[in-house]
Order: sequence, then C-alpha cells, then structure tokens
Amino acid sequence: MNLKSIRLLTKTTFVYLIFILIAFFATSIFIIRSTNSFFNEDSEVYFKRRERRLVKYIEEDPKDLEKVHDLVRVDGNTNIVATQYPQFKDTTMVASQMDDPMLFRSKTILVETSKGRFVYTMYKNINDFDKFRHGIVRTIINTFFVLALMLTLFSLFLSGFLFRPFHQLLALMSRYKIGDNLNLPSVKTSTSEFIKMQQLVQNMISRIEDDYKKLKEYTENMAHEMQTPLAIIRSKTEVFISDEELMSRYASTVKVIYDEATHLSNLGSTLNLLTKIENGEYNRVEVLKTYSIIQKHIETVREMFDLKKLQLEIDLDKNHTLSLDPLLFDVMFKNLLKNALRYTPANQSVRIITSNGTLTISNYGEPLSFNSSKIFNRFIRCQDEKTSLGLGLALVKQICDLNHLKISYVFANHQHSFTITHNAG
Amino acid sequence: MKLLIVEDNTELSSDLVNFFTGNGFLVEVAYNLKTAQQKIFDYSYDLVILDLGLPDGSGLELLREAKASKLEMGFLIVTARNAIEDKVTGLELGADDYITKPFHKAELNARVRSILRRKNGDGNNLLEFSNIAINLMSFEVLVNAEAIELTRKEFDLLVYFMYNKNRVLTKESIVEHLWGDHADQSDSFDFIYNHIKNLRKKLQRAGSQGQISSVYGMGYKFTEKK
Repeated sequence: MNLKSIRLLTKTTFVYLIFILIAFFATSIFIIRSTNSFFNEDSEVYFKRRERRLVKYIEEDPKDLEKVHDLVRVDGNTNIVATQYPQFKDTTMVASQMDDPMLFRSKTILVETSKGRFVYTMYKNINDFDKFRHGIVRTIINTFFVLALMLTLFSLFLSGFLFRPFHQLLALMSRYKIGDNLNLPSVKTSTSEFIKMQQLVQNMISRIEDDYKKLKEYTENMAHEMQTPLAIIRSKTEVFISDEELMSRYASTVKVIYDEATHLSNLGSTLNLLTKIENGEYNRVEVLKTYSIIQKHIETVREMFDLKKLQLEIDLDKNHTLSLDPLLFDVMFKNLLKNALRYTPANQSVRIITSNGTLTISNYGEPLSFNSSKIFNRFIRCQDEKTSLGLGLALVKQICDLNHLKISYVFANHQHSFTITHNAG
Repeated sequence: MKLLIVEDNTELSSDLVNFFTGNGFLVEVAYNLKTAQQKIFDYSYDLVILDLGLPDGSGLELLREAKASKLEMGFLIVTARNAIEDKVTGLELGADDYITKPFHKAELNARVRSILRRKNGDGNNLLEFSNIAINLMSFEVLVNAEAIELTRKEFDLLVYFMYNKNRVLTKESIVEHLWGDHADQSDSFDFIYNHIKNLRKKLQRAGSQGQISSVYGMGYKFTEKK
C-alpha cells in the first residue's frame, strides 16, 4: 500500500493543530460547565431567598394575596402533585422597562402553607450571564484560530529558515549521480544534527565514489589488459591452424581455443566500450541528422540482409535528428541492426522508420524466451543463441540513458520493435 | 621490403617477426619507444608497425617525430580496441592505417601490403598469383588474360586471399575484413560461404589455377592447383 507522503513539518503542525483543537474543546467544556454550575448555584440562592420571603408573607395572613404576580392558589386541584415541582425553564421575554427581548430563567414551585397550597413562578434575568457564556466560547474559538494561525506561520518560518539547510542538503543529494565524483558544497548551518548529516552524506558519497572508481578501474583494466594475452593466444592458435599435420589431429581442439579466445576478446572490448561510455568519454554531443548516417549503415549491411533473404523496408524522415556523439550513434545503430539481422527469420522483413522525433527498428520473429523487462540487461540472450555476447542491447540502453534518449521495446503482431525518442523534459 | 615492429610484448613481436619473415620481409623489432626512436633515425624502413601503448611513452610520439623529420616510411598504428581517440589522432598525425588489437595476422598482412603498394607507386597495382592477375586501381580481374566479372565483395575477398595465399584464413578474419564490426558471427559465416561458393564457381569457369579450399571447418585457403 502506498501512503501519500507529507512533509515532516506539515505533519507535525497538523498533529499539533489536532492536539490544540482537542485541548481547547476539553477546556471549553470544562469552563462552560463551571460557569453553568456557578450560575445555577447563584440562581438557586436567589430563588430560595424569594421562596422564603413568599412563605413568610403568606403565613403572616395578608389580605391581598391575589395581587401577588404569578401566584396561583391550587387548594382543591388534585392534578397538582408535589413531585412535579420545582420546574425550571429558560425563556425569552420582553421586560417592561426594556424593548429588546431578554433571557430569563423561571422557577415554578409548589408552596404548601397553613393558609393553603400555591403555585408560584419566579423569574431571574440571565441575559448577562448568557452573554458572558457566549463571550467565553467566542474567546476560546478566536484564541484557537489565532493560535492555529500562529502555529502554521511558525511552521512555515521553521521550514523556510531552520530547515533550509536540511532542504538544501536534500536537493544536493537528489541531484547526485554516481560517478559525478561530487564534493558536496558545504551547506551553512549551526544545527548540529544537520552538520552531522552533512558529514555522513559526504562520507557516504566518498565511499560510494571510491568503490565505483575501483570497480570501473577493475573492469577497464581487465577488459584492456586481457587483450594482449588474448592476441597472443589467437596469434599462436593461428600458427597451429597453418600446420596441416597438427590440424589433421587437433582441428576441433584448436577451433575451440580459437573461438573462445575470440569470444573473450570481443567480450573484453565491448565491456571496455561500455565502461568508456559510462565514464562519459564520448561526449561530443551533436545534433545529428540521421538520414544520411542511417543510409550509409544500410548500404553496408544491405548485402547481408539480401544474403539472408530479409526484406528491408525503409521509411526515413530527412529532418529526423538525435542529439548525441556521432560515434555513439554508430555503435547504437550498428547494434540494433545486428540484432535485427540475427533474430529475423529468413524471408521476413525488417522495418526502419524515422519520423516525428522517433527512430523505430522492428523485425518479425519468435517471441522472447525470457521476460521482456530484461531485454536490455547484460548477458541476456535467447537460449539457443550461443555466439551472441549478450551485450549489444545493454550497450544501446546505456547510450540512450546517458544521452537523455528513451528506448522502448514492444512485441506485438509477431514483431519486435525498438523505438528511440528524445526524453520529454 | 624492410619492416620495423614496435611492440613491447615479446611473444607477440616474435610471432609477428616469424610471420613477416616467412612472407619475405626483412624484419626488425623495437621493444620500447627509445629504441624505436634510435632505429627510425639510424636506418630506413618501408613500414613501421607501431603499437601505441609502449612502456616508456605513447607510440604517437614516435609518429609525430618521424613526420616532423619528414621520414619517408609508412606507419601502421596498432591500438587497443575502442581507443577511438588514438585512431583519430594517429591518422591526423599522418599514419597510413590502423588496426585494433587483437588482430588477425592475415588482416595485418593485407593492410601492410596495401600500404606498401600505395607508397611504392603505380607499378605495384598489379597483384599476381598463378594465372590470376588483379589490377587494384581499375578493379579488373584477369584469369588466363581473360577478364571476369566479380561483385565488390568477391573482389575484396579475392584480394584478401591473394595477399594471404597458401595460408589458412579463418572465417572470423574474413568476416571482419569484409564487414568490419557490422557483422557478428552467427549468420556471417553463411554469408562468406555464399561469397566463396560464387567466387569458386567464377574462378573455375574461367580456368583459374588458383583454388579456394575449406580447412577443417575453420576457414579457407587459397592455393595453386597441383
């Protein structure tokens, strides 16, 4: 499963924001509950005082109880049950002195005295309290947003300032290619973690470069130095070949020595060429008009195609160009031609087309005996192919890679097709 | 004809000495640059076979000095394969040809003879063996004084055989001579077989005394009929 990647600082900020949100939410609940509780107690004290005064008033046998607002005698009413009381209610009312509706809390109680049973409703203005409570919530929300904004700005500041050396280091590392022999430009920082990281990266690159150099030297030396002994082996074998008496007895042995020496020699020189290409020794990049170069190659090989009874279908665009060293184009095209010549069955056709920035060589043939994703790997060849070095297409791929060219391979309708285009971007 | 072989490897140089001595050349060897420098200024050679990778310097230095002193001798440079820069520099400095290591002696012989023919002027454009004569300038082939028609590749093949008569030419050597590195081995042996079959027919039809015989599946030999 691929997780979407998020920058560390964004992720940290996000986690902080969620934490702050939860903390603020919990704090809000606590504060609002405390406020409510404080107010409930305050209201209750107020209502109790009123209740005591009312009871005292009734017990003192006043004449005009009916003039008391919101007091109703319920002596004979059996529907009134003591357990239903007291009743609380918050309600909006317009007070006589004010124009605007205001919030009141009412408490309705059942008063049972020696003078009879009464239901009495008391009111307390809780408008200010409500405003106060809203004020608290608003303050909490505003504080949260201000804090979130500050945190985001701070994280941007961190990313832009404190983390700058880290990002610079990342950019340098992402540009690094093996073989660049890169001495990482020093990134100025006083953060000890980044200084350490920089040192580690530099040490790592030095080690990689050193190993790579040794490996290259080894390959190059092997490929180069073995040519002279191979030349001697071949030269001595040629002496044997000229000796008819010896050949009458040892022809097959001599042939094996000769063939293997030739194979090894070709292997060495091709590996050497690969190394030289990797080392960027062929860097005279030119915009090549491929038309005449391809024509020249085709003229050289046409005879071999005819001898194998292969049809050559050619459709070349005179304006087609590729940007690379001419020597490398020769190596690349020769290898593609050799590949087509080798693997196309007799009486079939090979097609060479250039158009719209693409060069395609396709040929009829049997499907591959291995996975097509390995076609450009070194030493990959068809099972029954003994004489091939198995390096031709690896060479072609290497040349393409180093010259920002894209090579693709497809097998469709019994045709193997190699297409070379300029890499977009 | 006098040759100087500049090659530091004693095995290879002794092989070349035997090979060219057996072909009627007077051969001398220099194993390093210093000796080679002394030799080319002290004696006269028709051709120098010059390996560029010498223990005490590059063979290109010798070439540069010889050309600066306007020495008449021809130069054939021997380079490690793929040292394309060396080939280019060598030819720019005035080398007559180059050959890459490891080479076939037959190919080296053909190149040496070709350089010597070019160096020695008009009289040497004729290549003769038995009753066959080839004019290398006009590409004319005469068998028993009668012209025969050959394709370009058949002509090249016959010249290669004539330069290396009575010697086995391996199939690899012929393929390399005819197509360079455009061909690889799998199919190209069939291709040369085709050419040889046609060339044999044409030579036989014209009554040639020269014949191409197959040698133990390794190659072919051009000899005079007994």
